[in-house]
Amino acid sequence: MKREQSKKYFWLQRLRILSQAGFFGLFFFLFLTTHYPGQDYLTTTVERFFHLDPLLALTTIIASRLIVAALLLSVITLVLTLLFGRFVCGWVCPLGALHQFFSFIFKKSRLLKPRRDDQMSLAPKYFVLILVLAAAIFSVNLVGYLDPLSFLYRSSAVFVSPILNLLLSQSGSLAYAVGLPGLGQTLGQTKGNLALNSIFQNALLIGILFLTAVLLNIWKERFWCRYLCPTGALLGIFSRFNLFKLRINPEKCIDCHLCSIHCQTNARPYPSDGWRSSECLYCETCAAICPTGAISFPIKFQKEKITGVDLSRRKILLTSLTGLILAPIFKITAHRQRAHPALIRPPGALPESEFLEKCVKCGECLKVCPTNALQPALSEAGPEGVWTPVLVPRIGYCEYYCSLCTQVCPTGAIRELTIEEKIEVKIGTAWIDKNRCLPYALGKSCIVCEEHCPVSPKAIKLIRVQTLTPDQKMVSNLAPFVDVESCIGCGICENKCVVLDLPAIRVSSVGEQRSPENQLILPIAEEPEQF
Amino acid sequence: MQRRSFIKSLIIGGLATRLSPELLAQPAHPELAVAQGETPAAITQAALKILGGMEKFIGRGDKVLIKPNIGWDRTPEMAACTNPEVVRALVEMSYQAGAKQVIVMDNTINQARRCYVRSGIQEAAREAGAKVLFTDENRLKKMSINGEWLKEWDVFQDFVEVDKLINVPIAKVHSLSRVTLSLKNWLGAVGGNRNQFHQKIDQAMVDLAAFFKPTLTVLDAYRILFRNGPQGGRVSDTKLMKTVVAGVDQVAVDAYGATFFDLKPEEIYSLQLAQSRGLGNFDLEKLRIEKRAV
Repeated sequence: MKREQSKKYFWLQRLRILSQAGFFGLFFFLFLTTHYPGQDYLTTTVERFFHLDPLLALTTIIASRLIVAALLLSVITLVLTLLFGRFVCGWVCPLGALHQFFSFIFKKSRLLKPRRDDQMSLAPKYFVLILVLAAAIFSVNLVGYLDPLSFLYRSSAVFVSPILNLLLSQSGSLAYAVGLPGLGQTLGQTKGNLALNSIFQNALLIGILFLTAVLLNIWKERFWCRYLCPTGALLGIFSRFNLFKLRINPEKCIDCHLCSIHCQTNARPYPSDGWRSSECLYCETCAAICPTGAISFPIKFQKEKITGVDLSRRKILLTSLTGLILAPIFKITAHRQRAHPALIRPPGALPESEFLEKCVKCGECLKVCPTNALQPALSEAGPEGVWTPVLVPRIGYCEYYCSLCTQVCPTGAIRELTIEEKIEVKIGTAWIDKNRCLPYALGKSCIVCEEHCPVSPKAIKLIRVQTLTPDQKMVSNLAPFVDVESCIGCGICENKCVVLDLPAIRVSSVGEQRSPENQLILPIAEEPEQF
Repeated sequence: MQRRSFIKSLIIGGLATRLSPELLAQPAHPELAVAQGETPAAITQAALKILGGMEKFIGRGDKVLIKPNIGWDRTPEMAACTNPEVVRALVEMSYQAGAKQVIVMDNTINQARRCYVRSGIQEAAREAGAKVLFTDENRLKKMSINGEWLKEWDVFQDFVEVDKLINVPIAKVHSLSRVTLSLKNWLGAVGGNRNQFHQKIDQAMVDLAAFFKPTLTVLDAYRILFRNGPQGGRVSDTKLMKTVVAGVDQVAVDAYGATFFDLKPEEIYSLQLAQSRGLGNFDLEKLRIEKRAV
């Protein structure tokens, strides 16, 4: 028999690799360019990627009981999947591309040795999907933790970006040290222009999870896509027709099993009646690798169903129940009842419960924040709010003329604001700690917070205070006094306070405009004029 | 120049010096130039002309650093940062005087890129051919300030590695130092925890000004900030003075600048400190001041 690999599928495979590289490149390019562009409004953002993600749309719509218009774009993805199967996973998804790349590396380096007949169940991702959807019914939006786009963007923002920044800074320092000031200057200016954020709380955990996801490819090829990805599972369910159907020409097939061994997602191309169409990503590996060119994907109109995936009705029911029972646990914590003082949300953030329903923890706002102020929350927002954005004034402050975070949010958890609207938004209130404030506590002069207050007239007023010092001298100094009505809670005062460890002026969430409850001053209607 | 005319002028020059040596002596340029007029560029040029032209300060091949105040993310109408047209004029004049390279930079308070863009300074300076740089932490070096209070501090090397340094502050009020003019502008040339300076702000300003010793100081008072300083936020916090004050003596420049805020120089503590240290002279009565309207 003539042994010859298929040229057509060899080139199709190359095309697929090109497509993956292209989409990954686009994603990463958009990631890097999501920062202050030298004008107030962004023109290109990575948002569109998110808008095409049907799982993000579905959970957000279920959880918030609202149709987010932009997310309806994901219907395109669904229709295409309905007709052609999970090609989006194989050709478009940037996280899929990353996993594919590392699987390839691990295979080449013999760390990953794919087995001939892998029996590991492909079902877990479907259970993840069911859990996420069940929780969404209770308005708990968990999709962001394992949604591929959110996962990739968040990991890039919190983990990759600080490392890139550090690399730029260190290589700049090295360039100066070895007498290359020109290069040092270029690197320094690039750093200034890229404005990568350099510090994130929780970066270690998010980084370790990201590395784990990558390293799992040593165990199984495209581990994430096979076993974990809920978006992949949703697309698997929607791949009903798979118009291009796998076919093995029995006359050419030499039963070598190469196709099944190297199938990226264990979709089992051989024997062809066992083909798991809902797992097939159309990567064309099997058709390209087949030594006799026996595999092809002719068009055939016939319905498909999920086969070869261990999804018993009992298990599905059990998972749904678990989801329904687990979801309320996320909500029965104290943060629901009383606002957390450190839970300062970005300007434009919806009221807390609506915010949590919509936020998918993608980290776009964390990336774009020019002062690194927005941080992934730890416990401030309760268990369902882990990794949602929270403003930490000790790290950065809310830049007065900036509304970038409101422009990039893919789900509208942060409402889009113009600069004019944004400067009116109060996100918290500053409080002076007189026991630490220099003029009050030490009788020393300092008006740093007042100087930095961006509001005009300033929300930090100055009063004269007398402080008795141990030598019985009265010293008089100007000291800050916060006007709670005009303070917008931007946090620049706390950020610039010279008391570094625990600043003498601190912002807490009270008074935040978005919350009807977390208020301080009762607004009393003015007396009607007497006639 | 033709050889013949060169020899001719050589002979004439030689004769002239022999006959009247005072011809070679510096013409008595005023110590302070105050120019007033409609456009920031024109009054900047006029002020320099009064002082004898930029050529007096900048030589052929000089590397020049112009240090405006780009501290805040504010537009020129807010008068929080130096007027971009003043900076542009200075860059142009420096090149005309033969500068090899002109750098414009400042250690900003708000995000650097934002301040550079919104102040208009980046665009103006670049159009005039200047290299506009962000400060880079890799360029910080602990240096001996040798001040009364500040002994050593982290200084951006860009500001000390140049031949000529021009300070271009804008006139604003400040709650602690009362005014922020040229002396206070030096806080933007250093790194570290600058906000600690406020514990003895006047001394810190003088220590830094004495350390940096600029070639020339040009105070932008085209639009001054008289309220809500040092960053303002409303046009109503500003006042049009349409003036530029220039001089070599930074204390004298600030002394004149104080008058925009109806303050006497002796009311400004930093000026007292500066004068007693011998940094300059704030006695406006004794200074040779030339005013010109354009």
